[in-house]
Amino acid sequence: MKQWPLLRSLSESLTRTLAAHSAYTLRFLSSATASPTFALKNVTKSNFESSLADLRRHVRDADFVAIDLEMTGVTSAPWRESFEFDRFDVQYLKVKDSAEKFAVVQFGVCPFRWDSSRHCFVAHPHNFYVFPRQELPVDGPSYEFLCQTTSIDFLAKYQFDFNACIYEGVSYLSREQENEMLRCLNSECDDEMSLLWRNMKEVRDTPLVSVADVLFSERMKNRFNEWRKELLQDRKGGSQFLETSNDMKQQFQTIFFKMRPALILNGFTAHQLRLIQLVIKKHFKDLVYIRSSGDGSYSELIVYIDSDNDKNLLMKEVKDGLRREAEMKIKTAVGFRHVIDLLSSEQKLIVGHNCLLDIAHIYNKFFGPLPLTAEDFVSSIHKYFPYMIDTKILLNTNNVLKHLMKNGSTSLSKAFASLCPQIASSSKNSGLAFQPWVEVEVQVDDMRSSNWNSGAKHEAGYDAFMTGCVFAQACSNLGIDFKKHSSSANLAHNKNLQKHVNHLYFSWVNGDIIDLGTGNRIAATTVCYNLKRRYPKILFSNIVIVWGFPSQLSSKKIRECISKAFGPISVTTIYHLDETAVFVQFSKPELVADFLVLKETLETIQDPISVLHPLSVLLEGGNTCAASYETYKEICSSPISKVMFADQAKAVGIKWKTKLIESKEKVKTQEDESFSKENGATDAASDPADKSKTRKIEDVIDNLSDDRISGSEIIDSLYAAQTKLSKHIRTTNL
Amino acid sequence: MWLQRRGLSTKREWRVKQVTKSNFSQTLESLKPQISQSDFVAVSLQKTGSFSAPWHRVLPFDTPQTAYSKARFAADKFQVFQFAVCPFSVRASKVVAHPYNFHLFPRDELKIGMPSYSFSCQTSYLASMAREGFDFNVCIYDGISYLSRAQESVANARIGNPIPSNNVKTSSSTPSVADAVFIERIKSRVKHWKSACRDSSTRADEALVKSLRKLILGSEEYRSRPCVNLDVCSEHQVQLVLEVLGEFFDDLVPLLIPAKGGGTQAVRVILTSSEEDKDLLKRELQDLEEEQNKRVCGFREVIDLISASQKPVVSHNSLNEFAFIHSKFLSPLPPNMDEFMCSLRMVFPHVLDVNHLMKEIGPLKKVTNLSAAASCLKRRFFVPIDMEIPHQASNEDKIHGHNVLKISHLLANLCSILKITPEMIQSDGGHLASALEGYANIFHPHSTNTEDPIDGGIKVWTDDTRKVSSEGLVFIWGFRGRMSAGGLKRLLQGSHSVFSEEFDVRMVDGSCAIVVFWQSGLSQTFLEAISSNWISGLLREMVSEGLRAAGYETYKKACRLGFWEADLADSLDKALEEPDHNSEADSEAKPTGPSQIYWSRDSIINLDEL
Repeated sequence: MKQWPLLRSLSESLTRTLAAHSAYTLRFLSSATASPTFALKNVTKSNFESSLADLRRHVRDADFVAIDLEMTGVTSAPWRESFEFDRFDVQYLKVKDSAEKFAVVQFGVCPFRWDSSRHCFVAHPHNFYVFPRQELPVDGPSYEFLCQTTSIDFLAKYQFDFNACIYEGVSYLSREQENEMLRCLNSECDDEMSLLWRNMKEVRDTPLVSVADVLFSERMKNRFNEWRKELLQDRKGGSQFLETSNDMKQQFQTIFFKMRPALILNGFTAHQLRLIQLVIKKHFKDLVYIRSSGDGSYSELIVYIDSDNDKNLLMKEVKDGLRREAEMKIKTAVGFRHVIDLLSSEQKLIVGHNCLLDIAHIYNKFFGPLPLTAEDFVSSIHKYFPYMIDTKILLNTNNVLKHLMKNGSTSLSKAFASLCPQIASSSKNSGLAFQPWVEVEVQVDDMRSSNWNSGAKHEAGYDAFMTGCVFAQACSNLGIDFKKHSSSANLAHNKNLQKHVNHLYFSWVNGDIIDLGTGNRIAATTVCYNLKRRYPKILFSNIVIVWGFPSQLSSKKIRECISKAFGPISVTTIYHLDETAVFVQFSKPELVADFLVLKETLETIQDPISVLHPLSVLLEGGNTCAASYETYKEICSSPISKVMFADQAKAVGIKWKTKLIESKEKVKTQEDESFSKENGATDAASDPADKSKTRKIEDVIDNLSDDRISGSEIIDSLYAAQTKLSKHIRTTNL
Repeated sequence: MWLQRRGLSTKREWRVKQVTKSNFSQTLESLKPQISQSDFVAVSLQKTGSFSAPWHRVLPFDTPQTAYSKARFAADKFQVFQFAVCPFSVRASKVVAHPYNFHLFPRDELKIGMPSYSFSCQTSYLASMAREGFDFNVCIYDGISYLSRAQESVANARIGNPIPSNNVKTSSSTPSVADAVFIERIKSRVKHWKSACRDSSTRADEALVKSLRKLILGSEEYRSRPCVNLDVCSEHQVQLVLEVLGEFFDDLVPLLIPAKGGGTQAVRVILTSSEEDKDLLKRELQDLEEEQNKRVCGFREVIDLISASQKPVVSHNSLNEFAFIHSKFLSPLPPNMDEFMCSLRMVFPHVLDVNHLMKEIGPLKKVTNLSAAASCLKRRFFVPIDMEIPHQASNEDKIHGHNVLKISHLLANLCSILKITPEMIQSDGGHLASALEGYANIFHPHSTNTEDPIDGGIKVWTDDTRKVSSEGLVFIWGFRGRMSAGGLKRLLQGSHSVFSEEFDVRMVDGSCAIVVFWQSGLSQTFLEAISSNWISGLLREMVSEGLRAAGYETYKKACRLGFWEADLADSLDKALEEPDHNSEADSEAKPTGPSQIYWSRDSIINLDEL
């Protein structure tokens, strides 16, 4: 029962607020003292094209590119938050759900280039406002995204400019969306012609009924005849067009359309245009009626053609024109994705801080729908971004860096403050210079500054900048000498980084790491965050999920009533997903099946004995459902998100109350993966200070727990506190 | 400043007071008398979206129940950003209006995950709000939060704010042994604690001793008075504690501490120094409670004001508007339309829909949006109605929330055209003037209740409408690629003998079409044919290619079970897979027999609403 990481995170959250506070005052002071204060590059619709051109250059020259995203939310329901009890596949389902439902509103991109002449990095922080505006009309579902109220409130607290985002944000199309649009365009273009002909046919079929129509048609026929005659005369004799009456001029204007003489028809009603179309069709072999588009508006034209051949040629030209225009529109609508394409095609080292969710968003928004399994996701992400580094992993797994961080919090702002104090405080001599600080010069347009720090926390562009600074400093501490580093060599191949390249936290809560290159999972490594010890080992085959029980039942009571039925040591852990659902981990996998069978039996037989059975406390109300861990996964994979887990289960369509396990063989085959965590405790550093701390807290807990029940009681309540706390932490960018 | 303008052409001059957190309580004060003095209250909501897929909007062939299911789905999903309220009266040919536009944001003020964990936004809705110059920063930073009535009671329990308790019922029954023991224990504990308090207040102890004593006695301070918490296990014990206190101790004030899951966890006993001090404390507690309530319910106070006034509430598209109002400010929407109507009527007894009133006037029958209605009125009728807004309007007040004025003006116009005079309008004593009674509480967007209010008929807006029983409707989907209605009709014509009779085809969305059989019984023949083994010819070919068909009941089922897939085809497939639960179906959708539907020759999906 070692509970020390919990206490740590409590103190962490305290220090974090303090750190944030001091960072603010420091920044305030610095902006007063340091002269070169200018904002980072904010990019919206209006300056997107020009910024993109600059960014292309910067990214091409860069040694690495740091990124950060701001989203409209993280979890679509409380029970979708990440738990220690999430198996690897469930972790992915939760990330997938989040990336699919929420929108990216800000995207920070900050290319870093080593300037070998001045021995410093040059950073170009960009802050893109992104908004999933629907620029092109398409059928089907409308563009829609979810907002998590607390996240929006969080953004507001950091003065996020929602107006800039919604009014001016750059929109985008994913690769898949673009392909779909082009496909639609192709079929539409083929249709365009048939549509044209069909219209003409229909026009021919309608007889003129009213006298007015007949008169109007006759008048038009004469007009076109005149115009044609003039045209032909003009060809022969070269004389000027005859002066026509004023109103004629207004309605018919002669121009050249695709090198052919043509008349623009102005100010006619749709009905009149239909009649004109009919007249042309009926009486003029060498005139065609055309609807052409340009500058976003349509115009109706009568074009003179030499021959049928010429006519086909003209039609083709018109069609191609329409097509080109549509293609241009689609290209413009690709918008912000050009930045992602750039990052992907340049194959630069991408640096993020705890960035798995960011990567999932990038995939979902700019490439296509997320794959169904984590394995597929990992392999396809690796194709798009072959080199990635997560600074949070760097800080937590490397002993040198861990020591530098004093084993404290590795939140971005904390890491920035402790690793790059000379930047965070904007003064070069603050760090007493016992350490070689990596200098970072910031360039925005024509402004340069070597002690720039005028960004705001949780602004994507500034967060990307901080991430990049942390990475640069971390590299230096890992013994990478940038002075010797040639710009042509890829930083990702540096041997000092080899252990960390393409490693991402799959779930920060569990400390599960995935290697994108190989697709292998690496077990939670650090002693510092050996969260596994917080719970007895998690065995997914020993877990049942129970929901819909009476709301006042606490973990303690649930533990009691199950223990009464299955023996005092039957229950290892009770974990609340939310107030309507718990995981119960049994000491033996057989107990899962036993529990489900007993529950089923008690519910079908309504005799006095079953009413008095200890388990009946849990079944009171008649809505209690239970199933194995697999059902939990199934429920997580549903696109529906109800706030309460019990409601979710109902909405997903679960109608049974107990799902028995077919055979015990099956349980064995579904054996969980948590074992793999055991293997790779590679970095399990033996920090003496750390160990003593652990022991101390263990002692405290041992003293507290006089007997087993009360001990686990305390743990249960600590879990509850921990969930609350981690909730708080998760909303602040870890 | 009195602004008096004539007609709708000058509507830019109409000023609507914008309300955020900062001026909310001040606005509330002025709104209170204005509501109680007005004839009507117009409301209009600006939402973050309304339907996610084409078929999710209310379609002409929807029954009241399916239309409600759609409205319910949207109301649960989207959020209200602006809520315009306008109490108004009609006097002679003048509308006196007090328009306010409240900016709302569902901020979790109490940190208890309410009013809303998350909400959806449709980008097109946000973009169109942006085109109107809406300030999202103001809305999100300073919008007023709220809790629904249902949420408020949950919140009170969850925050665990102490509740003053004044009503002590003296139980007549003689106490049991257990009770007697409990009473004695409480009595001695309180006595002991009281004397200790009195003692210590006179003695100047060391800090350590003081805190030790506090620890031992379990004594705390509440509003700078000593207090102690007495744990209780049941409501019965609460009652016993209160009795003891009432009987033996005059200078103690009890407070109930709610438990997390409802009920009472403990009784907090506060020691007062004198009778005056006791009164003072009681007053303090009362103020505290009121303040607490205000903080908790936020904007809902406006809803409560309107409800308490029992004034007729006027809106446009009342089904959607009131589904949102019910869901956000009253309680979660019930699955059934009838329950919704009942529940709503308890809060708003008279709801008028201008959209429905317009259906009474020939030229306005087809009009579905407010601006079109206004211009149509201006063209067709001469109704000189003045607008008077006796507001202190500042220049910053922008045009947001204008619809509520349009609604007020439109209602006055319509009343005038329908010859409902101001004298008849003025309602008295909570009863709607009988002239308007007939138009109230009609929630179906396509209904004209005057013709057939009983059979739940559905009417489409065109002149060329024909009545068709819902039994004559068949949904078909699963055809290859994009199809036009015409193409599909041609295809069907040669496929089976039922199509030699008159029938119509319309696309519902890209994936699904609806077929109308004008001759009764043919739809059944077709449905049987398509699922039989003897299917042959072209129809067989089409079915092999994936064509599927289902009757109207399947559509109803999809709506009832909430299968809101993006394509109607997917939803119908899902509904077909779902086994029938008759017992459940009966309780939710009463077997009212086939609904009458008015079929329109026009395009079935009306796209001019956006």
